[in-house]
Amino acid sequence: MTVIYLEKYKKEVIEKFGDKINRTEENNNEIHFILKNINDIPLICDYVCNSLGTRLATIICTDERKIRNGFVIRYVFGKENREDVFIFVTTLVNQDKLSFPSIALQIPAAFLYEREIKDMFGLIPVGNPDTRPLALHNWPENTFPLRKEFDLNTKGTRQEKQYSFLKVEGEGICEIPVGPIHAGIIEPGHFRFSILGENIINLETRLGYTHKGIEKLAESMKLEDALLLSERIAGDESVANSTAYCQAIEKIARTKIPKRAENIRTIFGELERLYNHIGTLAGISTDAGFPFGAARLNILKERLMQLNESSSGSRLLFGVNRIGGVRCNISDENRKLIINTLDIVSHDFEKIITFLKAKSSLMDRLKDTGKIQRKIAQELGVVGVVARSSGIDIDTRRDHPYASYFSHNHRTPQQLVEEQIEMEKRSGDVLARFELRVKEVRNSMTIIEESLNLASDDMFTNPPELITPYGSALGYSESHRGQTIHWIMIGENNSIFRYKIRTASFCNWPMIEHAILNDIVPDFPLVNKSLDLSYTGNDL
Amino acid sequence: MTNKTKGIMGNSSETIRDLDNSFIADNYRGGIVLNTGAINDQIGLAESACPTKALTSVKGDGKDLQVDHGKCIMCGYCSEIAPKLIKMMNKPDKPTQTKSRLVEQLVPQVQSSESYERIGIDLKNKIHKMFGRSLAIRQIDAGSCNGCEIEITALNNPIYDIERFGIHFVASPRHADVLLVTGPASRNMEIALKRAFEATPNPKIVIAVGACACSGGIFGDTYATTGGIDKIVPVDVYIPGCPPRPQSLISGLFLAIDKKIKNY
Repeated sequence: MTVIYLEKYKKEVIEKFGDKINRTEENNNEIHFILKNINDIPLICDYVCNSLGTRLATIICTDERKIRNGFVIRYVFGKENREDVFIFVTTLVNQDKLSFPSIALQIPAAFLYEREIKDMFGLIPVGNPDTRPLALHNWPENTFPLRKEFDLNTKGTRQEKQYSFLKVEGEGICEIPVGPIHAGIIEPGHFRFSILGENIINLETRLGYTHKGIEKLAESMKLEDALLLSERIAGDESVANSTAYCQAIEKIARTKIPKRAENIRTIFGELERLYNHIGTLAGISTDAGFPFGAARLNILKERLMQLNESSSGSRLLFGVNRIGGVRCNISDENRKLIINTLDIVSHDFEKIITFLKAKSSLMDRLKDTGKIQRKIAQELGVVGVVARSSGIDIDTRRDHPYASYFSHNHRTPQQLVEEQIEMEKRSGDVLARFELRVKEVRNSMTIIEESLNLASDDMFTNPPELITPYGSALGYSESHRGQTIHWIMIGENNSIFRYKIRTASFCNWPMIEHAILNDIVPDFPLVNKSLDLSYTGNDL
Repeated sequence: MTNKTKGIMGNSSETIRDLDNSFIADNYRGGIVLNTGAINDQIGLAESACPTKALTSVKGDGKDLQVDHGKCIMCGYCSEIAPKLIKMMNKPDKPTQTKSRLVEQLVPQVQSSESYERIGIDLKNKIHKMFGRSLAIRQIDAGSCNGCEIEITALNNPIYDIERFGIHFVASPRHADVLLVTGPASRNMEIALKRAFEATPNPKIVIAVGACACSGGIFGDTYATTGGIDKIVPVDVYIPGCPPRPQSLISGLFLAIDKKIKNY
């Protein structure tokens, strides 16, 4: 099916912009348009995104000065309506010019990627109004970590620079700075509230505090070691990230993984979603001032983490994947354990949820809080639960099936219509996200049960000894936060030439600045928790 | 339905009483143990398989192997490639008071089987002796992957329920006795961590939680990280693990108090 769609979009783009396109390439479910002139970027990206109905998935910059005399920027757009296609618009940035036209005005979701490219490669996005540094704080000028000549161990001297926040002025308006160290047991980040009384007029986030240089570090690692690194991009998304990483390598190496491995990846992916969603529901309950519900849900989370440990050897599901398949088998004994535990957990879960829903004070607190406008969400390109709870119908498991998700996607026409109606009804407030998470917990349990009929073949196939240099591919998965996209280009001798990571949090963070408007300061923790954003997944 | 589920909405206790009875899976990948009857031909293999350089041969002749538990991220690569030399045990590595004690040379590790409850009650008495009140902890994330945070949060759940030993988490370093620091100390958190340390009143205790905080872990020492909390602030106790289990965290706290009392 994918081939038909690839042809269709190839034809459409070439018909319209044939004279502007140098050549096209196809690679699995990706179609690449390589442009002649860098200045056509905004025009063609605008067409691909807004006329072909795609969503900006990521923007990848690579330093290919040794191979191609310049930097290459790849704009990746994904179709999100069951047509499993990714459209790449590729251009070369001349190494003497070091700038490229911004597409942030046509596609607002692009503005953060362009700031990131400016930080890491020193290419100026011409036309992007915001060029403040993103992940590098107080970093010396003219030092760009992802350029090839930059040594991983260089210690940049600290240059104290003032980061300019947006000023809101007027009578009675004051600022509350929060962070980077927060009050709870959570990760670091800075929030600047401008408030009038208790009402939030503006919120600006400044992140990057947990920047660990993962993308640069991966370039110095062996393929197996970078797998461990990918698990630690975000400790609670370990399966999603490592699955995406392995998929990308497997696609480059043209390795087909066994059916059993696909099943096992699906099961662990869903187990991860389960314990995290239940944890988030507990968090929502805590932040709404109802610790009883949180305590009960945390008991279930702990049981699921113990199940994780019994079946994979790690409470956070580290070490599940390997390139070409999986490292952990699910034995008959584990199968029984999973079935029994899920049985108990689901029984208790329903009891707790019924109880929570009957508490009108709790439900009243969730309703209409942190409301997301669908249009803004669409423009910012949010993904995952945040998107689905505001009525945007995207799910990587369905749109770009990986592992064994293909076999869980069957819907009767009636079910499809019902789903669509339900999607339209979702209002984008905290309650909608609460209810959607409850639904996804149930759904995950069904998927696990269906997947437990494991195929009886091997756990892995060995990838070839040497992978062809400069091959590249996308790997993707749906973590509990949303679409995760990894892009890898292999270098010589099985090294990693470029590892671009884009987790769901990177897309969803800008949303919080809009979701919180019209709410009061004490609502912030609740809204933040309901969006379930990862700091480390954003900062890398 | 089992007994466990009867009480989920009621008042039955879920809290564990005893470390021996607390859950630990048979196939849990905990710390590594070296086989003392060294099989030398596998030492080189194991050394090269380790992604964080936790395994190093001591004399350079490839005969003696040394493990730095502060660097080990429990990936199990070494035990897969050299199964006779290295085993993963289903017990976590123990926290230590000095960094050098995280390193061991071909000595099998001894595990105590003290009960969780016993440790907790001892801890409570010691805290009372030292502070005359309960113990306040401020957790600081200096660039971790959020794995350690999940385990620290688990300490507060009804199963581990650390608050019954008089230990609680506070919102400001100014109210804290203990700083529980995770992550490889990212460059961007350096100043914030220093300031938090200065803001904490004396006597203060700093605990490095997880392989990253002990040594930089898999993130090492790069342009964006500093390679361990002790490069920035003095550390009293190191808790190895990736991430450490809740049980390790509480025994780490115990060690920290113990150390402070001796020097107080």
